[in-house]
Amino acid sequence: MEERLYRSASGAPIALRPRQHSASCRELAVRCPRLQLRSLSAVTSAVWLAAYGLFVLSENSMVLSAAIFITLIGLIIYLHFVKIDQESLLVIGSLGIQVTSSYASGKESTTFIEMGQVKDVVINEAIHMQKVIYYLCILLQDPGDPQGVSDIVPLFQSSKPRLDCLIEVYKSCQEILEQRKTAPQPSGIK
Amino acid sequence: MAAGGPAGGAHSVCMVSDFFYPNMGGVESHVYQLSQCLIERGHKVLVVTHAYGHRKGIRYLTNGLKVYYLPLKVMYNQSTATTLFHSLPLLRYIFVRERVTIVHAHSSFSAMAHDALFHAKTMGLRTVFTDHSLFGFADVSSVLTNKLLTVSLCDTNHIICVSYTSKENTVLRAALDPRIVSVIPNAVDPTDFTPDPSRRDDGIITIVVVSRLVYRKGIDLLSGIIPELCQKYPELHFLVGGEGPKRIVLEEVRERYQLHDRVRLLGALEHQDVRNVLVQGHIFLNTSLTEAFCMAIVEAASCGLQVVSTRVGGIPEVLPENLIILCEPSVKSLCDGLEKAIAQLRSGTIPSPETVHNKVKTFYTWRNVAERTEKVYDRVADEVVLPMDERLGRLMSHCGPVTGYIFALFAVLNFLFLAFLRWMTPDSIIDVAIDATGPKGAWTKQYFWGKKGRVKELPSSKNAQMKRKEHNSH
Repeated sequence: MEERLYRSASGAPIALRPRQHSASCRELAVRCPRLQLRSLSAVTSAVWLAAYGLFVLSENSMVLSAAIFITLIGLIIYLHFVKIDQESLLVIGSLGIQVTSSYASGKESTTFIEMGQVKDVVINEAIHMQKVIYYLCILLQDPGDPQGVSDIVPLFQSSKPRLDCLIEVYKSCQEILEQRKTAPQPSGIK
Repeated sequence: MAAGGPAGGAHSVCMVSDFFYPNMGGVESHVYQLSQCLIERGHKVLVVTHAYGHRKGIRYLTNGLKVYYLPLKVMYNQSTATTLFHSLPLLRYIFVRERVTIVHAHSSFSAMAHDALFHAKTMGLRTVFTDHSLFGFADVSSVLTNKLLTVSLCDTNHIICVSYTSKENTVLRAALDPRIVSVIPNAVDPTDFTPDPSRRDDGIITIVVVSRLVYRKGIDLLSGIIPELCQKYPELHFLVGGEGPKRIVLEEVRERYQLHDRVRLLGALEHQDVRNVLVQGHIFLNTSLTEAFCMAIVEAASCGLQVVSTRVGGIPEVLPENLIILCEPSVKSLCDGLEKAIAQLRSGTIPSPETVHNKVKTFYTWRNVAERTEKVYDRVADEVVLPMDERLGRLMSHCGPVTGYIFALFAVLNFLFLAFLRWMTPDSIIDVAIDATGPKGAWTKQYFWGKKGRVKELPSSKNAQMKRKEHNSH
C-alpha cells in the first residue's frame, strides 16, 4: 500500500506504511531514514584522522590498527544494537498487539502484548532530551484494579514521529480497539 | 465561562515559578488560583515549574490547567540553580509549542522565574512579573538580590506587587519607573474560610497562631508573649499551627513554664486543615517581622477571629482598622494589643464572627484579582517588546557600568544560543500543542458537564491526552 511521508520530532523524514490485512488486523510500519553514506564516512574519517594524529605524536603503529578495529567493531555494534530501520505495530483485534523493531543488520526484536492486558492506546506528552514531544503508548491493565494502569509501553521510541503521524496511527489502533469493545466475547476459533 | 469572553482578546499566558504545588505556600496558591480564574475568563494558561521528586513531566490539574514539571536541579530552598542559559532549550520549546504570548513570572526568590523572563525577552515575548515579598537594603545578600532584580526587571514590560508597601519597596530596590508597577492584592477563597462559633470553647480564650515557625515570622516574639500572658490570664490557651526551625524555641518555653495543657503545637498543617484550626480560636495573632501582604490575617478575619498583628510591611493596608489591632513588633506592644483584644472579648464589644465574615468576604476575591491581572495583560499586549539593541542600551544605562555590561554580554550570548537552537530545531518542526484551555481548549466544560452520551462521542484522543502522564523519559 502507499506510503505516507512524515517527519520525526528531530526533523528527519520518516515514512508510515499502513497495511490492512483484514477488518480486525492491521499493520503500521514506520520506516526511519537509512544510514547515510555521508555520515558513515564522516565518522570513519574523523576517527582515522584522530588516530593518525596520535600516530604522528607517539610513532606507534598500534594506534592505526586499533583505530581500524574500533571503527569496524563500532559499526557492527551500531548496526546490530543501535540503528533501527523500521518499527512496526501489528494490531490484531482478537489477539493482541505485536511491536517489532528491525535493526539495520536485519536483527528483529519483538514483543507481544495480549489483548487482555491492553487497557488503551493513547498519545501522551513527555520531556525528552531538552524537548517536549508527543508519543504513542500502550497502557497496560493493572490485574488488581480494573481502573488502574500498571505500566506504560512507549511505541516508536527510535523514530519518534510527529503528532500528525501519531494521530494517524492512533486512529487506526482505536478503530480496531473499538471493535473489540463492541464484541467483547469472540465466538470461538474460525 | 465569563459572558462574551475577555474584552481584549484571549491571551496565552505562561506562569513561571519555582514554587508550585505540591509545595505549599502563598505563592503556590496565588499562581494556582489566579490561573484557575484566568481559565474561567477564557484565557489559555499553563504553569511551568521544576520537578518535585517523582512528579516530573506534564500534568493536568482541575479545569485543564497544564503544568510542566521540568527536570531542573534544585539548589536551595526549592529554588533552582541559575546559569541563565541551561533552561533556554526547554523553555523555548515550551513557549513555541504552546504559542505563549505573555510570560508571567512569580516571586523574586525563584531563579527559574528570572531565567524565564530573560529568555522570553530574548525571544521577543511580553513579560509580566509579580513580586510577592519584601526585602531589606542593608545586608550583603539583599544588595546582591536587589542588583539582580534591577537587571531582571529593567526591561520587563510590567510588574505587579501585592500591596502599596511592596510596590514602594520594589520600585526602590529595582530602580523602576513606578508607572509600570501595578498593585493587585492577594485574595482568599471566602467559601473556604467560614466562621463556625460552635467549634470554639467559650469557657476559655484561645489565641491561634498559624505560620511557618521561622525567624521572619517573629516566633521569638511569640515565645516572649506566651509566658507573660499565660501568667496573667489563667483561662488563656494557645494553639500554634505550622512547622519550622523555630519550633524548638516554643517547645523550650512550654517546657520551662509547664504549659503543656495550654500551649498546643499542631505541627505542619495541610491547607484544608487551616480553617478547622482557625475556627477553634477567638483571637488570631500574627507576629511577622516583614510581610508584603499577609494572607493569614485575611483568612483569620474571614473565619471571624479578632486579629492582632504587628504593624510591618503591607499589613496596615490589608484590613480596616475596626477589624485589626496593630502593634509594634515588640513583646510589650503585642501583649498590650492582646490584652485589649481579650478585654473587648470579655465585654462583648467585638462584632459577631458572621458579620466580620460577611464584611471580609467582599474585600479580596480571586475573580477580582484575575480581572485586574487581565487588564495588565491587555495593556502589555499593546506594548512593544524592546528590540535587541534598545535592550542592550537599557541594560547598560540602567544597571550600572559593571553589571550592565556583564549582563548585556549575557543577553548577546543568550541571543546567539537562541539562534543556534533555532538552527538546530527550527520552530516549524516543533509540534503545536493541543490547547487544554483557552478559546480552542479541548478541556471545555462540555466534556464533563454535558450529557453522558455526548461524552462518549467525543474523540477520545483528547481524553487520552488528558490522562495523567506517569511516564517520563529523559
